Amino acid sequence: MSGSAADEIRHKWPDRVFHWAMAALVLVLLGTAFLPILGLRFDWVPIHWISGVLLTAAILFHLYRAFLVHGVRSMLPSGADLRTALGRARRDETAKYDLNQKLYHWSVAAVILVLVVSGGIMMAKIDTPLWRRDPSILSDGGWGLVYVCHGAASLLLIFFFILHVYFAFLPEHRRLLAAMVLGRNTWPGRGT
Amino acid sequence: MEVFRVSKNVWGQEMLLGMSWDLLWVPVAAAFAWIALHQLLRLASRRS
Repeated sequence: MSGSAADEIRHKWPDRVFHWAMAALVLVLLGTAFLPILGLRFDWVPIHWISGVLLTAAILFHLYRAFLVHGVRSMLPSGADLRTALGRARRDETAKYDLNQKLYHWSVAAVILVLVVSGGIMMAKIDTPLWRRDPSILSDGGWGLVYVCHGAASLLLIFFFILHVYFAFLPEHRRLLAAMVLGRNTWPGRGT
Repeated sequence: MEVFRVSKNVWGQEMLLGMSWDLLWVPVAAAFAWIALHQLLRLASRRS
């Protein structure tokens, strides 16, 4: 099958490393955020903020790849996507992403943006090796809004995370999972 | 079930603290409802 679609690299290794690093960091962030609420007591704050900083760095790396290496065009919804969604055209099999994948990506991107910005502001409330805490940068009402944004976005992230894992393991999406693990659209020893 | 966590400051005014964690089950339930609906639609499309 040399030269076939199955042999093509769908995701290059830096993008796969980003994906799995983000997955691991999101799991750590959700765990350190919600396990203490569910009753598991541990010193979660340092793990949470350090993971948040690492996630921010990973996202900056992804933005560099998206804008300066790949271009964002393949992730933008197109007229062809809408025509396919409305049943007026067949899906373009050469397109890298379908409309559902694009909508999922931009939904998670918006949620993560809210989390990173609100989480970054919340770091003013903790002492780190780099700065001393200074909660006076916002009023009580301002802090309340920041915490509501961070909490609401984290609840949405749980929803999207569960759906992402579900769709990744559907039989018809196994080639997408293979591509995110190995780069190619096929598992070793399998045709699809 | 509360949507927000609030407390009162020293002047007795209500202060917003954040989202209520009573809502923690909502995204989990919504995701599993979505999955169930998707499975039903897959089943229906296979039969038709």
